[in-house]
Amino acid sequence: MVLRVIKNEDIAEEVLQDVFLKIWDKIDQYDSAKGKLFTWMLNIARNHAIDKTRSKEISKEQKTRAIENVVHRVEAREPVEQRVEDIGVKDIIKSLPDEQQFVVDYLYFKGYSQSELADEFNIPLGTVKTRLRLAMQSLRETLNVT
Amino acid sequence: MNLQEYIASGILELYALGELSEQERSEVEHNLVQYPELRAELARVEETQESLLMQTAVRPRAAVKSALFEKLDAGKVSVKAEGKVVSMPSASTASVWKFAAAASFTLAIVSSYLAYEYHNRWKSTETNYTELLAQNQRVAQDYNRVNQRLDQIENDLKVIDNPDFKRVVMKGTDNAPNATAHIYWNEKSNEVYLNAQSLQALAQESQYQLWAIIDGKPVDAGVFDGNPKEALLKMKNIAGAAAFAVTVEPRGGKESPTLSTMQVVGNVVKG
Repeated sequence: MVLRVIKNEDIAEEVLQDVFLKIWDKIDQYDSAKGKLFTWMLNIARNHAIDKTRSKEISKEQKTRAIENVVHRVEAREPVEQRVEDIGVKDIIKSLPDEQQFVVDYLYFKGYSQSELADEFNIPLGTVKTRLRLAMQSLRETLNVT
Repeated sequence: MNLQEYIASGILELYALGELSEQERSEVEHNLVQYPELRAELARVEETQESLLMQTAVRPRAAVKSALFEKLDAGKVSVKAEGKVVSMPSASTASVWKFAAAASFTLAIVSSYLAYEYHNRWKSTETNYTELLAQNQRVAQDYNRVNQRLDQIENDLKVIDNPDFKRVVMKGTDNAPNATAHIYWNEKSNEVYLNAQSLQALAQESQYQLWAIIDGKPVDAGVFDGNPKEALLKMKNIAGAAAFAVTVEPRGGKESPTLSTMQVVGNVVKG
């Protein structure tokens, strides 16, 4: 997830290490009543990765390009990036309607926040939420979650 | 509150993703405590999310793990936090290594100390052993000396006890009025022993010389130093002596006595 958001393996490894150190340091703040450990760790990792993309020039460039090439974004990318980003993810979410694939991809694998997604693609916040909801319900079946 | 609508709004998905504001977040948390249905739904959302992410996960290179443990070992983490996560597999691996490192370090320290300690003990033992050897040698030498002295005294006793030895008393002359000396003379074997312990020590270049008077002529019977340690001095064999006398002569003695230096003299008592 971190790698998919960051897109650069070296930086992603650095972020991953920071994330683990942070988890290690803050483990006593984890409260099982508020969610699973995985969710808690995911939130730390995701926030950290997003912070990193915002602080790095590369991410600006990548985001700008992403915005400009919404339609042809897959074709525009370098082969390595394409491989890293799309292997696995596409297979799992391909059964979803396009607009749901889009939301899942951007929220989970491109490090967009819901408001960024809403602003940049002119989708109402409520729509982002419901699309995510529908997507997750479909995935529940795809992934055999009971 | 309509739970179905609340769930359908997708807020739990955003909660699981960590996309809610602080305020929305605490609202959801509050509701979770109240409604078991919400908790069950959140659990499903979380599982879906976990499954999605685990199946799309890219495994990081092994170097990331080792670098992370290096950082953890470098003490960037408080001891308290470390204690709480000790049950995590990664943490237990780290603590096994930490424990192994600490154990081998301790072992090294202890071994060094013991090596030092035993080296010191060995050193002092070696010194003691050398001293004992030297002492033993001294004792052996003393023993030999005493033994020799004992042999001599036994020998002297034999001479004194032997009735074949004639005792000749020599008295001091005017040169040494207080001096006396005795001759033990065996007329059969011609052996002569002299007790001269009362004679004074002489200068380095001088020695006493014993003379036997045979047929009126003085015959050399040997030289000796003054104040001798031995009770009896073995002198030259003499036959047919009528008297004995001791003079002071240059070291090594002379062929004929210097009569003016005569110290003691005594006649042999016949019969």
